[in-house]
Amino acid sequence: MEQLRYYLKVNWISIRRAPLPYALTILILSVGLGVFFANATFYYWLKHDPLPHKSANLFYPLVKSQPFVCDEGCAAPKIHSYRDVISLQQSDIPSKSAAMYSAGAYVRLVPNTTDAASDLPAVGMSLRITQRDFFSMFEVPVQHGDVWPDNTARHEVILSHDAALKLFGRTEVVGERLELDHRMFTISAVLAPWRMFPRLYDPQNDGYLEATEDIFLPLETGYDLNYVSNRQSSSFDDADYQKLASDGRTKALHQLQFWVQLDDANAQQAYADFMRHWVEEQKKVGRHPSANQPQLVAMTDIMQTFKAQSQEVIAFALVTLLFLLVCLCNACHLSLNRFIANQYEISLRRALGASRGQLQLQLLADVCCTAGLALLLALPLAWLTVQGISVLLPNQAVMASWNGSLLGSMVLLTLCTSYLVTLYPALRASFGNLSLQLKA
Amino acid sequence: MMLKLRQISKVFRTDLIETTALKHIDLEVAAGEFVALTGPSGSGKSTLLNILGTLESFDDGDYELDGISVRGMSDRALSALRNEKIGFIFQGFNLIKDYSLFDNVELPLRYRHFSAAERRQRVMDALALVGLAGRRDYHPSQLSGGQQQRVAIARAIAGSPRILLADEPTGNLDSLMARQVMELLESINQQGCTLLMVTHDPDQARRAQRQVQIVDGQLSDSAIYDPLQRTVA
Repeated sequence: MEQLRYYLKVNWISIRRAPLPYALTILILSVGLGVFFANATFYYWLKHDPLPHKSANLFYPLVKSQPFVCDEGCAAPKIHSYRDVISLQQSDIPSKSAAMYSAGAYVRLVPNTTDAASDLPAVGMSLRITQRDFFSMFEVPVQHGDVWPDNTARHEVILSHDAALKLFGRTEVVGERLELDHRMFTISAVLAPWRMFPRLYDPQNDGYLEATEDIFLPLETGYDLNYVSNRQSSSFDDADYQKLASDGRTKALHQLQFWVQLDDANAQQAYADFMRHWVEEQKKVGRHPSANQPQLVAMTDIMQTFKAQSQEVIAFALVTLLFLLVCLCNACHLSLNRFIANQYEISLRRALGASRGQLQLQLLADVCCTAGLALLLALPLAWLTVQGISVLLPNQAVMASWNGSLLGSMVLLTLCTSYLVTLYPALRASFGNLSLQLKA
Repeated sequence: MMLKLRQISKVFRTDLIETTALKHIDLEVAAGEFVALTGPSGSGKSTLLNILGTLESFDDGDYELDGISVRGMSDRALSALRNEKIGFIFQGFNLIKDYSLFDNVELPLRYRHFSAAERRQRVMDALALVGLAGRRDYHPSQLSGGQQQRVAIARAIAGSPRILLADEPTGNLDSLMARQVMELLESINQQGCTLLMVTHDPDQARRAQRQVQIVDGQLSDSAIYDPLQRTVA
């Protein structure tokens, strides 16, 4: 402790010898780090694993299901047809599975309700049309009521917390009714406040950035009522999009995302074998003619496999990194000025018996001071930038927060950059010719 | 033997020219001896002193300090050797003006494994020896040249070195202060510390037990150099 106090005192004296270069070093380092931290915050949340304890067990099956031979440079469709999903759900190997897609609907409260909001006009809301395992698979918390007991069609919906508040002004609305595109539905459950971010169950078309859907509708009901996907859908045959209840179920009309939960390596291997066997069977009846190995994509790899991440985000991250590097070079140059101002003392210390290693140890006090001051400026700057962006993009406000690991990484990065900024100038100063320096 | 040089040579090289500073120097200095190193400007005195102090490397030959060969030593080992065995006294004092006298004298001790109490004791003893214990919190700029050189001597002896290397220690002082500094150095030498001093002053050189004269990078042991005559007698 006494030695640390001494090193801090030596550092303070060295700062006093060249205060302007030191202040500019801190300023430039802080600006570079602040901008980098702001970008890193968004990047961290985009790369964040929303279900770290189980994401390795959640898989998205991919099969080259085109009804024509498509081998070279031809990827498996990212969305499935209804009949393929039903076939893939025939296995009892997955502990859970859920097919899903998104759509939109106009919603209004039932006119004879006593609720004060009953005279509100119909409002457009987002739908996630899915199956019951969706809620347990992605750990969606239910505040009131229960999710559907099975996957059969039913006129029952589940509301998100925000949707319940928006429609009713309260969340205890289980059993109440509402209209979806003029059809009556009963509310079977209301979710607790929940947002998966990034929403990895929906990696296509920037779906991973969006908020939780307002209303959840059973998949079979969605097909019965002709709710076509408002995102990606495609057909490989003459399927009529308007006849979802019939053509959608029997023809090659692809619009479903599909997830399975495979709890261990044995289950994963068994389900891969099941898929291979199923593809072979399909080939025998003339379907899925492409040579293919079915694929199970882990949730942790889904963004990369689907190339879902926006290129702008990556480009912005690179620009920010380059900006930090430019700031580091400038800070290093300024730091060199300070060390040149202190070169005489460094040479004298070496002449009187300090090794370069001992001087490096002494330098750590300098690094800690630089890091502390840079952090003091960089953190507020980053925080203001992050808050400013979340004001401009309110839907992305979930990314404007810091947790322990993010803060820890920022501190570590600040220490590393401060060391880099100090290392080269200090090394240069400690390699000077002692006799010349002391004679000068 | 405290110092033992065998065939030491040093050449300074630039892109255009090579300058031979020292040629095949052989020198031995016994423990406790007081040796004056004299010679004209540019003869290689300071280069030799810097090599003896391990502040400068040499190209050929071998150098043993207190029985330890310094050739090929690592930076760490060389620094430790310098710290423990050698005390430096420079012509320009080389005190750090931002530090108090106490901090200046303590500086080399910071790189030894002394406790804080021992460091403090050694610094106060050294300052007392040079008559400046009462001014421990002064800064160098508050002292005269002679007093500053006494602080430099205190710094040199605080670590109890085996040898003191003094480069023109009185070069920047008037005659009264120079005499006081010389008396101080002699008393330290009489306590057993080897003293090797570079000087231009024949009076001071005569106070040494032995004079070593260097001309054009070569030694003339025991020869007496007369700076007025600029010849070797």
